Amino acid sequence: MADIKSLEHPTLKVPYELLNKKFRSAQKTLDREVSHVQNAANDFEKNCLRNDGTGVPRKEISRLLGGVVAKLQVLKRKAQESIAEELQAGMVCKRRLDHLKEHNNNSPSAVNQWRRQRLDRMLVEYFLRKGYYKTAIRLADSSDLRDLTNIDVFMVSREVEKSLANHETSRCLSWCHDNRSKLRKLGSTMEFNLRVQEFIELVRTDRRLDAVKHARKCFVNYEDYQLQEIQACMGQLAYPADPHHSPYKDLLDEKRWDRLIEQFRHENYRLFQLASQSVFTVALQAGLSALKTPQCYSANKEGKNPSCPVCHETLNELATPLPFAHCSQSRLVCSISGKALNEYNQPMMMPNGYVYGEKALEKMAQENNGSVICPKTKEVFPFKKIEKVYVM
Amino acid sequence: MEACNAVEREVDKVLTKFGAINDHADTTIRDIINHIESLSKEIEEAPEDQQLTPEQVQVLKQAMTKARDTVARLATDHRELHSTVSKVGKAIDRNFIADFASTSREDVFAGAEKTHLLNQVICQHFYRQGMLDIADELAAEAGIKTDEGRKEPFTELNYILDCLKQKNLDPALEWATRHRDALIAQNSSLEFKLHRLQFIRLVQEGPSKQSEAITYARKHLTQFVNRHEKEVQSLMGTLLYLPNGIQSSPYSHLLDPMLWLDIHDVFTKEACTLLGLSVDSPLSVCINAGITALPALLNIKQVMQQRQVSGIWSGKDELPIEIDLGKQGRYHSVFACPILRQQSTENNPPMKLVCGHVISRDALNKLTNANKNQFVSRLKCPYCPVDQNPEDARLIYF
Repeated sequence: MADIKSLEHPTLKVPYELLNKKFRSAQKTLDREVSHVQNAANDFEKNCLRNDGTGVPRKEISRLLGGVVAKLQVLKRKAQESIAEELQAGMVCKRRLDHLKEHNNNSPSAVNQWRRQRLDRMLVEYFLRKGYYKTAIRLADSSDLRDLTNIDVFMVSREVEKSLANHETSRCLSWCHDNRSKLRKLGSTMEFNLRVQEFIELVRTDRRLDAVKHARKCFVNYEDYQLQEIQACMGQLAYPADPHHSPYKDLLDEKRWDRLIEQFRHENYRLFQLASQSVFTVALQAGLSALKTPQCYSANKEGKNPSCPVCHETLNELATPLPFAHCSQSRLVCSISGKALNEYNQPMMMPNGYVYGEKALEKMAQENNGSVICPKTKEVFPFKKIEKVYVM
Repeated sequence: MEACNAVEREVDKVLTKFGAINDHADTTIRDIINHIESLSKEIEEAPEDQQLTPEQVQVLKQAMTKARDTVARLATDHRELHSTVSKVGKAIDRNFIADFASTSREDVFAGAEKTHLLNQVICQHFYRQGMLDIADELAAEAGIKTDEGRKEPFTELNYILDCLKQKNLDPALEWATRHRDALIAQNSSLEFKLHRLQFIRLVQEGPSKQSEAITYARKHLTQFVNRHEKEVQSLMGTLLYLPNGIQSSPYSHLLDPMLWLDIHDVFTKEACTLLGLSVDSPLSVCINAGITALPALLNIKQVMQQRQVSGIWSGKDELPIEIDLGKQGRYHSVFACPILRQQSTENNPPMKLVCGHVISRDALNKLTNANKNQFVSRLKCPYCPVDQNPEDARLIYF
């Protein structure tokens, strides 16, 4: 159970954030429609019931009443729609919880299946973070994981990233607008940086008057600490837009767009409380460390075990900077049979110094007329020459 | 499970409350609409020049007040649900660990080269799992070159496994027959299990297939009677219940769809052993190990932070605690010197004393130096009474 606790936070937190967002937008819609109804009702009272209804034609009364009814109906429909959306967002949480609870199963096949799915879920998230969207979608579809992964969130960001890569700001700005209150709470500078970029682009294309207009519109309401940056922007107006001659060449650098994409990714993670690393890489690091032994890196090939993942060529390289597993008690395995060495399968030393399990050597001696062959050095010894060793 | 249940309780509350407010809003607004519409009709039906009576004015005023109040209450009711919603978030934060990445280093897999290596590992993993299309898609998107040789052994196995997923046993049976001798040498019951499923499938189709099932059993199951007598007996027992359906018989466990998942695993395992491949994909072994290790690592990290000794763990040379991965997780012998409580290394290898006890070379040197005063250095084994010359100790390899 501990593994679910430590790994599944994003699985639940993202749909919760979506639910919360849905709640807030529903509240906004409701408030708006409620005020419409109230205005209509007030209107009616003012116009028709002012002098206890004297002098108002009946047609007018029923027309205004009809207006109230229409507003009520709109409210009813909108309320239904938004609450349905909230319920849907709640159901997503619920489905994921149900999936997590399936983890607690007694049948080993089901547990294996669940674990396989978990790995696929992790990989989907890793692909999404790396921007391999097609692979992610394909994997999610083939393993039936769409509901269990945060694909939708990343699909939105995919569009934004694409447009930023094309040097367009509008999509990202509308994203900022969608999440304005949250971003403000996080102290995000995303929108400001986008506005700065727009200003720079105007200067680059030498539409300096437009740039000034833009600055008047957008830079007025910013915080004090941004003043310096605004000053730099405005200073740019005095110089040609050629990056080689302007002292503001960092501002004119095309790389600024890449940095905007980076910043957007980062802010998007923060918005959904996603960690900066994916669950997949975190788990892989911990796993490689837990399996890593000095033997996996020993110079002679004999120390390696083909089924050990860390001895696997590529993973071996990836694990190089990671810490080794900690081991204060000897843990011996017989490299012939792969079985543990203990009092039931005692470690035995060949005259050349190599240690194997008693059982495997006995079996080998039976099959070879009482002699044993060291699988590592290919030397042959009579079984009698083999000595017990004692490992505490 | 606790964690899930705690969050689920909050989610359930949200669902019921939103459901309730939905119904409530629906009925109250409908009532108001009906009320106003009936009033409106009443007014319309009266003659054109008749003035509103004071009662009508009163009723209309009341209706308007009611409409305003109801909708205002709806908005307030909805706003009050905010606490219920935010409780879900709090429950998630309380029961699940948000900063699970705190034990790992971001730089380890950073950079184009590392990303490339990692993608290669993932790609191979998908080949193993038989998800060739996904592997190819990834290779295309991440720009990895793949060589055909790597895919080869998996293509056939994956085809068979795909067929098994679609409950088609023929290719698997054909494969098992082809490798019968090797499978028997492995003491494998794969072939029997395949035939058993085929038989169950015939039986499931009802009495019309009875004779076919019996013929099948005569032809294929007899060869397994020596090794699987009991199971063959219970298979034949199903025939008794054929007319009434096996679902309600004592043999209903044979219809468990789990058997199909099982056969998938059994086949993979047997075939990989036969072909000399590691049974599990290295990537999934690593991830499973990581999932076991991570909770312990996060725990120790937290404890270290509380005691303000977090600086000790640099995350570079060795993990701060031992992680027990179970028997499957041991691929190498690790010798830890019982005296120095350190893992042996190439510079400090294990040494066997004359009496057979093993200690590390550093420990041996320390023990010898302690007795250096005498003319000849002697060593008493720390574990038994044997007195010996330290020169006689010899290097061993695990």
